[in-house]
Amino acid sequence: MLPFIGMMLLTLIIGTIAAAVVDEGRSRRMAALFTGLTMIIAFGILVYSLITGSVNVHEDYIYYMVQFAVDFNFQLNIISFSLLLMATIVSFITALSGNTEHEREKTSSVLILLFELSAVGLFASANLIMFFLFWDVGVVALFFMLYLLGSANRRHAAMKFIVYEILASMLLLFAIMLLYFYTPVHSFDINTIIQNSPLIPTSTQWLVFFLLAGAFLINMPVFPAHLWLPDAHTEASTQGSMLLSGILTKFGGYGMILTFLLVPSGYTFSGFLGLLAGFSAFYAAFALMTQHDIKRIIAYTTIVEMSIILLGIASQNVYGTTGATYAMLAHGFGIAMLFLAAGSIGYMFSDRDFRALRGIIKSSVSTGYTMLIGIFATTGVPLTAAFIGDVLIFTGVLKAFSVYATIPLFSLLLAGAYLYYVINKSVLSTKDVTQNVEYIAREQKLGYSMLMFFIFFFGVLPFILLNFFSV
Amino acid sequence: MVLYSQIYFLTMGYVMVAAVAALLAAGVLSLLHKNKRLHLIISSAILLVILVSSLTLSAYNQSFIVLNLFIVYPFSMFFTALFSMALLLVNMLASEYSTDYLSFSMLLGFSALGIFAIAMANSLITILLGLELITVPTALMIMLSGKKFIEAAMKLFVLGAVAVAAFAFAVSLTLPYGPQFALTPLSSNASVSSGYLIVLALLLFIAALSFDASLFPFNLWVPDVYTGAPGYVTAMMAGINKKVAFVALFEILIVVMYSLSGYFSSAFQVIAVLTMFFGNLVAMVQVNIKRLFAYSSIAQAGFIALGIATATQYGIEASIFQIAAHTFMIIGTFAIVLWLESKNIKTIQDYNGLNYRNSFAAFALTIFMLSMIGVPPLVGFVGKFLLFTSIIQVGFILLTALAVINSFISVYYYAKVIMSMYSKRDKERMDATWSINTTIAICLGFVIVMGLFPQSLMSASALASGSLLLIR
Repeated sequence: MLPFIGMMLLTLIIGTIAAAVVDEGRSRRMAALFTGLTMIIAFGILVYSLITGSVNVHEDYIYYMVQFAVDFNFQLNIISFSLLLMATIVSFITALSGNTEHEREKTSSVLILLFELSAVGLFASANLIMFFLFWDVGVVALFFMLYLLGSANRRHAAMKFIVYEILASMLLLFAIMLLYFYTPVHSFDINTIIQNSPLIPTSTQWLVFFLLAGAFLINMPVFPAHLWLPDAHTEASTQGSMLLSGILTKFGGYGMILTFLLVPSGYTFSGFLGLLAGFSAFYAAFALMTQHDIKRIIAYTTIVEMSIILLGIASQNVYGTTGATYAMLAHGFGIAMLFLAAGSIGYMFSDRDFRALRGIIKSSVSTGYTMLIGIFATTGVPLTAAFIGDVLIFTGVLKAFSVYATIPLFSLLLAGAYLYYVINKSVLSTKDVTQNVEYIAREQKLGYSMLMFFIFFFGVLPFILLNFFSV
Repeated sequence: MVLYSQIYFLTMGYVMVAAVAALLAAGVLSLLHKNKRLHLIISSAILLVILVSSLTLSAYNQSFIVLNLFIVYPFSMFFTALFSMALLLVNMLASEYSTDYLSFSMLLGFSALGIFAIAMANSLITILLGLELITVPTALMIMLSGKKFIEAAMKLFVLGAVAVAAFAFAVSLTLPYGPQFALTPLSSNASVSSGYLIVLALLLFIAALSFDASLFPFNLWVPDVYTGAPGYVTAMMAGINKKVAFVALFEILIVVMYSLSGYFSSAFQVIAVLTMFFGNLVAMVQVNIKRLFAYSSIAQAGFIALGIATATQYGIEASIFQIAAHTFMIIGTFAIVLWLESKNIKTIQDYNGLNYRNSFAAFALTIFMLSMIGVPPLVGFVGKFLLFTSIIQVGFILLTALAVINSFISVYYYAKVIMSMYSKRDKERMDATWSINTTIAICLGFVIVMGLFPQSLMSASALASGSLLLIR
């Protein structure tokens, strides 16, 4: 078996250096090339897993800290692999088609590669130190993405982002260190901790659970800690938004799934977490309805969807977890597509207020349809991947809690209704069509179609990944 | 074979001590030949000799006493290696930016003698001598640079004199309890029940050394002096003098005063927390970059003090690691600050668009600051990680929480500087001089390489802390 993760990381490291070294005009091609190679390797893992029947990758590299038996070691299971696959695809499309206005290409290319490096490392990490390490690399990369490439008010948004995210990472570090010392065998290895964590005293487990949950709820983001996200999205460039919502929020989702494995006593609080998720979903759905900026609207749908995903994780059964993973995969594609289209609208019409836009479907056919399908994909219309995720999540929720726990489904409905209203006003209406000035670049159309393909691919053929989830 | 290696070992020890003396002699001689470049080459060569011989000696993991004053063992060799590297960098910076490099180098010779004396100290008297040898020449270095620096120099001199006096008093108080000032544990009757004098001695030691180590509440002079001194002296004070005081603290608290570990451990918990909060909270409102980094280095001293609060071998190892890490981070930082100050770029506002003036300097400063926040995979992360785990290991959960909160607070002001450097495009290019570029490159290399592969530095500091406890 090939050292897949090592190959991916090496490709990305070489790519980062290459993009930093070559001149401005070639760096975007470099980024597309190396993210593309990484995506191909990720598909290699998929093919390999389909042949052998299980996702089972485990790789060890050089020592990092001998004293703690921490080295650069990586593993994949189906949950992390699904997210990894999504991350590589979204990164590729971001690098390929996110920056058609050719603005500061070198900076953005280097940062995309660096961020993908962190995403691959994080999803594939087999010990918590690696998890933390790649987490922080990702946060720093996105901070620069936001700050260097953002729009006018980016200073405020970037500061908010880095303060929230470093708070999350400090909570995470504290929890990791507590876990190390209170696990009887003293280990940072995720599998070892999962085997031994029932032996940790319950009160300590609760403390660790609160710290971890705090960190991941900030990152996801869910209600009380979501304030950084809308600002960050309003100011970020198209590429920054795609990576932020598409991949960074999944760090938190994946971490939340891990949390329940690492600290089983946290199960006590799953009900409260579910309640918080439900409230957060409705809160975001209502907050969504007061927004006019298309990017801000999409940002709030991220909060709605991530809250639903948290609900699925909190249900703590195989349906909920599988559904949450699948919904994260679907949401990554859907939201990347919406932001790609929204960025293109903002660029073409130099306005993102939906009340000022009319008949995009006439003036720019591909962007209009992409927007429409993106909204199908986020609201979970059948045949899209999000549908599978939502069905599984709510099956799990129904099993774990009561029928009342499915009420948050209505928040999705509310958000969806507003999105259709927005789309009806701006994209589909044919009265006084706003004239656009630019045509859409070929690579952007490629990006649209690839995302559309994956949304329907994973929606129509869910068994490709779902077969690996053990029931 | 054993004999040969033994002879080699002893010879190397004497070579090293001779090299320290030669450095001083070269400093004095430079006043005669008045050739800057020649002196730079000679002093750098001598410092390299010290570096190489101390690295060789630390590999032996043995100890022996030189001239009854110095002791050679892994702990002292770790710090002679570290300080000789740091002195190399400071010497290089000064050779280009000092107005009176030859006088500076003479003073640096004295200072270096003090620094190495404390690193290799075999008795309390050696430490006392070393402290005097560091404080007075440093004050003179500042004073020599021009009239506008006199205020800072006087502050340092007066307060330094008080600190040395307190230290001397503390040394004399230990006399009834220990054999002739030697760096060995006090006799077993040196418990608190035997009288308050030993506790007073402990407090005076902590107070005197906290002054140099810039620990709260003895650090109020730090921002003024750091800001008022020329940049290369600031780099030396923050990168070397402060760390030397920590070395003296290790030697006195962990070796001599270990029977009172309960007392100084609880004292240092309080000191560490107050120092961190003081440094971080005040740094948030600073506009002058040099002052900001002065406060940031105070906060970092608070982190280092966490390791002393544990009073365990692992805690000392963590402190030693963080000392090495911070030495390079802060010298690199002050090298950039020094260079920009000479171009009259001083406040955060002035730093706007530094990336477009000189992207290498901006990148390096960003990496140094991320490392100070504790972002992996940089060396500052490993240091903080070791410190935090060391205090969790002895069960101080609340202390860890406070340290983590501090680590988080510091993001605000570091991010402010980073953002200012990367804002406002279209500035004209500015090239740094060779000494600045070399210093930055060495420090940057250390921060990144030791962050990605920290194992060598970790085992070196483990060896050092282990040997410090063995000598007891």
